[in-house]
Amino acid sequence: MFEKFTAEARRTVVLAQEDARSRHQGQVRTENLLICLYDPPGAESVGAEVLTRAGLPRSEAAAAVQAIARTDPSGPDAQKLWRLGIDLDAVRSQAEEAFGPGALERTRAGRRRAREGHIPFDAAARTALELTLREALDLGHRHLGTEHLVLGLVRAEAGAAAHIMAAAGLTLDGLRAAVAELAPRR
Amino acid sequence: MADATGVAAAASSKDPAEGLAAVAALRALQESLEELQVVNARQHGWSWQQIAAVLQVSKQAVHQKYRRLGY
Repeated sequence: MFEKFTAEARRTVVLAQEDARSRHQGQVRTENLLICLYDPPGAESVGAEVLTRAGLPRSEAAAAVQAIARTDPSGPDAQKLWRLGIDLDAVRSQAEEAFGPGALERTRAGRRRAREGHIPFDAAARTALELTLREALDLGHRHLGTEHLVLGLVRAEAGAAAHIMAAAGLTLDGLRAAVAELAPRR
Repeated sequence: MADATGVAAAASSKDPAEGLAAVAALRALQESLEELQVVNARQHGWSWQQIAAVLQVSKQAVHQKYRRLGY
């Protein structure tokens, strides 16, 4: 499915992974995809254009995402270790007491974890990506662009992005119309 | 973080994917802790021989693994 993504849409997905990593999340969520549509500043995606015109500019989207930020400070490893009865947070604070802040993360294994640690998409984000494909197909488009990603995100109702968009007054029908209008220009 | 009930449920789970992933996470943590301790020991002037003895591995193994760190 990813091979049909435009370069811009692919960039958004990659940036969303980075965004989730920088927010210390264990999973990539729809709000990460939403906020990364506006990146990088100055080179906003077609999807961001659609969102801005529909009434959700970057500043408002960023504020909404910030307001619901849920970090999983210890990431996915903590959950796995917890199953073994090991409290990673406790181990980390012991290590930091002896060797300074970020001691575990500074080790080779720690850096490898940060670099390679694959951050999976959560269920809502996966649904959004699937619906992105569906929306593009329904519109008869052969590419998967960030404008379709916008539609996928608004339809993935279990995700926070859909709630943020709804709260800003954006509707699926309105966005679909905006995307349909936009398409001939490409 | 999971609550006590969640932990109890997970502990009795026999899902291989969960169990193996937990062991992999444990190994990564073990590597981090070992590096911290080996580096610390070297900074305290310990020889590779002494470190290996306490870690219960061969001197070659520990030296080979950590000499690239420059300690």
